[in-house]
Amino acid sequence: MGKSSFRNFLFVLPFTLIFFVFLLFPFFYALYLSFFKVTDLSNIFANLRFVGLRNYLYVLKDKEFLYSVWLSLKYGLMLIPLNIFLSITLALLLKGDLKINRLYRTLFFMPFVLDAFVVGVVWTIMYAGRYGLLVNLLKPMLPASLYNTGFLGNPNTAMLAVVVAICLKNIGFGTVLYTAALNNISPDIEDAAKIDGASGLKKFFKITFPLVSHTTTFLVITGIIGAFSAFSEFFAMTGGGPIVYKWGVPLGATKVSGYYLYNHIANLRLGIASATSFLLLILTLAISIIYSRLVRE
Amino acid sequence: MKRTSFWRYFIVTLLLIVCLFPFFWMLITSLKPEGEALLLSLPKKITFENYRKILFQYRFYRYFINSLIVALTSAILSTLLASLAAYAFAKKEFPFKNFLFWFFMSSMMVPGLLYVIPQFLIVYQFRWINRYEGMIVPHLANVFGMFLITQFLKDLPDSLLESARIDGASELKIFTKIVVPLALPIIATVFLLNFQFHWANFLWQLLIAQTESMYTVPVGLAMFKSAHEEAYALKMAASTVSLLPIMVLFFIAQRYFIEGITQGAVKE
Repeated sequence: MGKSSFRNFLFVLPFTLIFFVFLLFPFFYALYLSFFKVTDLSNIFANLRFVGLRNYLYVLKDKEFLYSVWLSLKYGLMLIPLNIFLSITLALLLKGDLKINRLYRTLFFMPFVLDAFVVGVVWTIMYAGRYGLLVNLLKPMLPASLYNTGFLGNPNTAMLAVVVAICLKNIGFGTVLYTAALNNISPDIEDAAKIDGASGLKKFFKITFPLVSHTTTFLVITGIIGAFSAFSEFFAMTGGGPIVYKWGVPLGATKVSGYYLYNHIANLRLGIASATSFLLLILTLAISIIYSRLVRE
Repeated sequence: MKRTSFWRYFIVTLLLIVCLFPFFWMLITSLKPEGEALLLSLPKKITFENYRKILFQYRFYRYFINSLIVALTSAILSTLLASLAAYAFAKKEFPFKNFLFWFFMSSMMVPGLLYVIPQFLIVYQFRWINRYEGMIVPHLANVFGMFLITQFLKDLPDSLLESARIDGASELKIFTKIVVPLALPIIATVFLLNFQFHWANFLWQLLIAQTESMYTVPVGLAMFKSAHEEAYALKMAASTVSLLPIMVLFFIAQRYFIEGITQGAVKE
């Protein structure tokens, strides 16, 4: 028996090995590193100086970090509701197993599988100033400054522009999930609602929406995780800019927390970067847990 | 009834155009001479000059080959590892099985950026910086794919495997001759998702590729973009080179993509 269960384990061994070396060990090593300062980059495993909680305190006191967390929150608070609203609308409009509806859902889904970085680059030609497509379409309605900088170069519109681009990239995913959830609602319930005279918006908010709440929760939780680790789309579209002055210091108007973390990584501040990633992990988990508690009540 | 149906498809079509227009515009821009790139017009004369330049002068053909090597090797290996592990999790017994499975699953809550520094240090110790191994190996344990295949294999009837065992087939033979063929739809799905993930594994490849000859397509695009901010037509040609393979793959195998991605979400 021992021999056969060992043989069985061999099937799992390659996967487990990679998991332990490249995911499990890195997780704990990042935790370890977050309490150290790297003094010599040439031998990263030896030249470490213990600094206790100083990395964490540095990050927590850093105005740039606090602002980046606020920006990620703002990004999530704009993106998630917009995404849910459009996805559920599309799912309702495209309900039913007609061939044409399936075709539409497939077409909406396509951008979801594409690289966020490259899609971001593509959107820069839509948002560019002066010669860009959108500023020229909307020229009569735009102030001259916005016309010149484009939507990504203006601190008031840059975040919204990224939200719109990413929302349109992702709605196909939400639409397919809501379609599946709507198909699971038994027709009896809808018939009962019809007999009771509930119709239109009332029926939607009283009956349909609560019955697909699992999907909504899923989209909110993955949305929160996504907002706090978002990086590629901002790297492609805004580079964290444009600069705004807040709390007496220059800060990036779209430098979200993932971007803040990336900057520490790129500048090889490894201890501080590790502390940042754990603070973000704790924050993400906390918000997700609070949200699911609120939903349950 | 007809009227509402018209408005319904009118709204949906409008939204679809907004969603897909950037990609249409990318294609159009990439076919224009650089001087016309940002004008609000269709190209007067279609030119493939941008593609010639981006592929050969800016060496994106090389980055394309690198991307293909990395994404294909990664997809094959990670699908293989996931299938082997999934078979044992679904159909076999060994100590700590459930604990290990739960343990793997819980790692999906951790954002990928957290692993970046230690993974880089390990790759550095292995002397894999600027090598394909460095791009491929750290991301071979795909928990989500393993989960999908496990769920699928759990529904396979045990009697099939039992009768093969009675016929004296070895465990490896059962896996290759019975399990893999039966699970082919889900294995194809996981393969495609893995390929897509590694084709777009931009940040990691950016860190590992140190010399130009090791760039992948998105890394090449990032470098090109920062050096030629205003070269819109060329940028769009490079973007098309990067996106087109996945678009084509998606339309060929859209059912596998959509079902694979959403199945996980529904079952969680």
